[in-house]
Amino acid sequence: MKFLNNMTLGQYVPVDSPVHAMDPRCKILATLFCLIGVFMVREPLGFALWCIFFAAVVSAAKIPVRLVLSTIRPVWILVAFTSVIHLFFTQGTPVFAWGMIRITHEGIIMAVRMGLRLMLLVMFAGMLTLTTSPTELADGLESLFSPFKRFGFPAHEMAMMMTIALRFIPTLLNETDRIMKAQIARGAELERGGPLRRLRAFVPVLVPLFVIVFQRADDLATAMEARNYTGGEGRTRMNPLEWSPRDSAALIFSLLFAIAAIALDGRFFTL
Amino acid sequence: MRFPVKTMTLTALFAVLTAVGAFIRIPFPLVPITLQTFFVFLSGTLLGSRTGALAQLLYVGMGLIGLPVFTGGGGPQYVLHPTFGYLLGFIAGAWTIGFISERFEKPSFKVYLAACLAGTVVIYAVGVSVLYLNLNYVAGKVTSLRQVFEFGVIPFVLGDIIKMSGTAALASRVGPRLRQIQRGAGVARGR
Repeated sequence: MKFLNNMTLGQYVPVDSPVHAMDPRCKILATLFCLIGVFMVREPLGFALWCIFFAAVVSAAKIPVRLVLSTIRPVWILVAFTSVIHLFFTQGTPVFAWGMIRITHEGIIMAVRMGLRLMLLVMFAGMLTLTTSPTELADGLESLFSPFKRFGFPAHEMAMMMTIALRFIPTLLNETDRIMKAQIARGAELERGGPLRRLRAFVPVLVPLFVIVFQRADDLATAMEARNYTGGEGRTRMNPLEWSPRDSAALIFSLLFAIAAIALDGRFFTL
Repeated sequence: MRFPVKTMTLTALFAVLTAVGAFIRIPFPLVPITLQTFFVFLSGTLLGSRTGALAQLLYVGMGLIGLPVFTGGGGPQYVLHPTFGYLLGFIAGAWTIGFISERFEKPSFKVYLAACLAGTVVIYAVGVSVLYLNLNYVAGKVTSLRQVFEFGVIPFVLGDIIKMSGTAALASRVGPRLRQIQRGAGVARGR
């Protein structure tokens, strides 16, 4: 299975950069501010400010532009579609008309605005996962959600299960691959026959997979209990998250930038 | 809310199973079947309402923090994907299935089948409404509920029926045993 390579890293690009070195909690919160900020601008000035800010973040993070652009891939149809729809179906002063097709001045503005907004939203969100490993993100989220523990939200347990899941993705994919090969070697025909036959051919793959899952879960639980795992209370970390003054500065800067961008854009406040 | 360690490991592994299921594609008329929903059904029937929903929440969480575990990749931007609603539906669906099967002391094949059917309805209810909202308000394309229904539900019905009966058959055999084990009645483990 070719997708197995680098599966646990996901989109993460390990590079030595100041953005990568930031505290994951700071990055999550700063991304949130940026997303809200991008969502609230509508004039060219606001978009220009966000584009400059984004370019600055990308160059500081030393991530290849090609990879940054590839974060749009899952939703590019949506972006293209949205722009095209707004381009053709916005009422206003026509600048171009040919038969049924009319492109209005307002349509062009709306298309650019919606397209840019979606692209910036997606790329800002993508930057978070490009510069932060899934494990760091899970730790950061655990820490950010830990105040909700008193309302019964299992922040530590969620993060622990996330870590276990990350650890077991490659294992389980490997096992699935191995079982499939083993069954093919025994004469199972996974790739032939009608749809129903193919589905039934998967039963000999799924049964051992289940046995493995239950055994692994059991073994892991035993191993954890043998090492005296008792949940999040009083547990220390091997790599504790460290909030440095630089993180505070970055967080305050992104918050101020978002406020400034919205203010200068003139939607809510006029200067 | 306290979790036995065994429940934690099993939940995590079911989240991984769902991820693996998204990659197992079986060509089928109209749309290829993935085993994703099969594992959603199974986490509901075998793990129960709370834990089953948690396993699916973990699966969605894994995808959102950037692992390519969804059929179309992963990352926080997936929230804008038109099909994101189905993923939310998995959480609600697993909970529904678990909730129904927990009502019965010894659930039979029929009970599990009915539970899966209810869960499927929930998955599509959430999935189709988000798809509808996404197309109409995010993408800005006016689409009627009927149209959304036509390409968001109909192509998957046949595959779902097969997966539901598969789940019910498996769960009616494994489910009661698993409950015994979880209650602490030791069962010898063969290796």
